[in-house]
Amino acid sequence: MQPGARPAATGTSTGVTVSIARDPALVRTVRLVAAAVARRTTRDEDFVEEIRLAVGEACALLVGPEAASLDTVGPVEVRMRLEDRLRVDVRAEGQVSVSDAPTGDIDGVEPWGLLRGLIEDFTITRDSVGTRLSMSWPLP
Amino acid sequence: MDLSLETRQENGHTIIEVGGEIDVYTAPRLRDKITELVGNGEYHLVIDMEKVEFLDSTGLGVLVGGLKKVRAHDGSMRLICNQERLLKIFRITGLAKVFAIHGSQADALAER
Repeated sequence: MQPGARPAATGTSTGVTVSIARDPALVRTVRLVAAAVARRTTRDEDFVEEIRLAVGEACALLVGPEAASLDTVGPVEVRMRLEDRLRVDVRAEGQVSVSDAPTGDIDGVEPWGLLRGLIEDFTITRDSVGTRLSMSWPLP
Repeated sequence: MDLSLETRQENGHTIIEVGGEIDVYTAPRLRDKITELVGNGEYHLVIDMEKVEFLDSTGLGVLVGGLKKVRAHDGSMRLICNQERLLKIFRITGLAKVFAIHGSQADALAER
């Protein structure tokens, strides 16, 4: 881990925000936090596993090979909120392609295919400063 | 848990027993191991994923890349996986139809 690159977790009035340096080694830390947030719901371990996978996948896409086109070394921020639904936003500076290229850097697996297939409510938003992946799941 | 890789030979196949998490950080190590084996002329691989605790699309990409490598030498790559949470990932991405996925090492080695 680089100096000053420690994961920073901030409690908010409605959830947890974690900011990591764009380092693949730190994605596991975010997965652990995501699983902990998911366990605060009353849903089962399959749900916790789905949140762990989805948040880890979203972070991987913003720090891994697919993010090579991002023209910044800024952090990836993950915000998780337990509201009417479990809402997760994963945000990074820079622009990533929002469509699946036929020949990605990950040897033929559609980069967004797993998230699109896994999550009913999943959107990718790009604006002038960055890319945001938004996901949500219903709560009982 | 970090990634663990153990290899051994059996019935003309090279079995790679993978443990831990295959993700954006660790997947390159699995890719390097497959590349090393193929470079040594080992073209019939069995990837045992029974002890894998996490798999993301980076890991899937490494498996697809490995399949392409062995097929270029008329080889094969079989997967061993019984875990529903991993099988779901293969189904969602359409890769359940691409890989030969077996329930045990005996089944994987028995197939001709």
